[in-house]
Amino acid sequence: MDLSIVAERISQKILSKGKNVDQKEIEAKLRLLVDEFGVQPAEAERTVINELGREYQVQGLAGAVETDRHAIAELVPDEWVTIEGKVVGLSAPNSPSIAQTGIIADASGAIRFVVWAKAGAPCLEQGRWYRVESAVVDAFRNAPNLKIHSGTTVTAIETDKPLLPSVVNVAELKPGVASVHVKMVQEWEARSERILQTGLVGDPTGTTKFTIWKEEGKEPLTSDTVYDIYYATVDEYNGRLSLVLNSGTVVPDEEAELDVGAGGQVYGGAIVHVGQGSGLVKRCPVEGCNRVLSRQNYCPIHEIQPEFRYDLRIKAVLDDGVTTKNILMQRETTEAAAGLTLDEAVELAENSPLGMDEVFLRVQSAVMGRYLDCRGRDMDTTVLVTGAERHRFDPAALAALIDRAGGEA
Amino acid sequence: MKRENQMTFGNRREARFEREPARRVFAAELREARHQFKEGTEEKSPTYVLLPTGQRCNRAFVVGSMTEKMRQGEQNIFYRARVVDPTGTTFVTAGNYQPEAMQQIARVEPPAFVAVVGKPNVFEAPDGGGVYISLRAESVTVVDRETRDLWVLDAAKATLDRIDAYGTTEDSKKAAEEYRIDPALFRKTVADALAQMHL
Repeated sequence: MDLSIVAERISQKILSKGKNVDQKEIEAKLRLLVDEFGVQPAEAERTVINELGREYQVQGLAGAVETDRHAIAELVPDEWVTIEGKVVGLSAPNSPSIAQTGIIADASGAIRFVVWAKAGAPCLEQGRWYRVESAVVDAFRNAPNLKIHSGTTVTAIETDKPLLPSVVNVAELKPGVASVHVKMVQEWEARSERILQTGLVGDPTGTTKFTIWKEEGKEPLTSDTVYDIYYATVDEYNGRLSLVLNSGTVVPDEEAELDVGAGGQVYGGAIVHVGQGSGLVKRCPVEGCNRVLSRQNYCPIHEIQPEFRYDLRIKAVLDDGVTTKNILMQRETTEAAAGLTLDEAVELAENSPLGMDEVFLRVQSAVMGRYLDCRGRDMDTTVLVTGAERHRFDPAALAALIDRAGGEA
Repeated sequence: MKRENQMTFGNRREARFEREPARRVFAAELREARHQFKEGTEEKSPTYVLLPTGQRCNRAFVVGSMTEKMRQGEQNIFYRARVVDPTGTTFVTAGNYQPEAMQQIARVEPPAFVAVVGKPNVFEAPDGGGVYISLRAESVTVVDRETRDLWVLDAAKATLDRIDAYGTTEDSKKAAEEYRIDPALFRKTVADALAQMHL
């Protein structure tokens, strides 16, 4: 690129604002950046414009850099981009240097954006379309993020284009923003006071964790109900994905039926240890708490809770002879694996002098030493089992081993 | 462009405690194991028994028929049980330091199929009557026949895997020095065990 042309363009721009700057001076600034510091010409142009804009106190120079319009779904980090999209979500910024954060979408997809306080951009309104010129795509926790800075021009545009969110399968989720059609399949014990609800949602291609943080106007999901979730953020933490619904719009689809695919992976092995805390447990009844209470009905946060509710679970070690996995089975899986329903377990505990220990022993003797095929997801240290089946004796496996051992049948 | 917020993978957490897997080993192989060693110098470092097919074993998983149990000792009660698989007998013990396993053995009525998870322990008979190996039980559970059958296949596969890797791992080179047993012998053991299943 001929920098003198760029310099002329900048000079013209400033002249149009009624200030006169020596074109040679502009070109020298550009050359310094491009030749000495290896800056891309487009970036150099932006830098010089900003610098001169400040120096001569001229507003509205930014946005001079021509960038092609991009489809939001195709944005990749480290690019300068121009997009047109509709603001579909706004969230409270968590730092004074940020003016606004939210989600902007077009027909191809959606992206998180952040408006820096220094950008001097107009305040974006939910539901309106904007043309965003010369923004930068960055990666934040592996998810693309659109940064609106002082060199970005944001213009509201009038359009009546209908915007249909592009819905993706759970198996195709990646960090960023996504719309899904899913059924809520499981609710988990919330580990934080700030969480309204956490659990699993799924579609035929698999399941994923979801979280709703406590916030004004947020409602928990109902089990076994199908939802259209538009523009939720997809976070990645320690290699696994989590759908955060706060940014999105959640619409229940009460008529819908949806089969949820198991997803995850199958882990085979024998149960070699059944941990304390397996069997019948009492959970804190405070909404959103759900912690396991001590024998004296003490919740670490909410103290004595005589109105607890019972739950059934198994914490165990699955061992295939080479590696071991900690597994956690929740109520339904436990009931199936132990051949004991929650109601039966409660009755057993209430009528036995050993109380809840009786249930532990019963569950332990039902699963210890047994070969199980556990379907679930590896949550870092523990596999959360969504389905467990007894491994069955297969004569074909025996025949194959006889061949391998070289023996005669 | 800066990417300071990019997540860095790998060594994101210090190595966590890894539980020792329970090795599947037939009685015929376990009774030949003699060489016991400790990894590391700390008091809590794990102790291993080197299996003749060339793998260290800190914990074993055995399923077989408990044919007999004996209660010994007056002050310090102590159980010994015989657990039989298609290749021979494994001795299982549980004392005061394994109260849970001891109570579990106390409840078993032989003969019964049991699943045993335990730590191998090599000891010398006090009267100079030779070296023995037993499993100090962590847990003993009554199981069904299918679980026993599955274990025979599992132990057969694990033994064949060890034989196939023989000579390629440090542990198996050590086993070759310590035992001088041809691993082909154990291939025969596996074949015989599987042949019994077929009946």
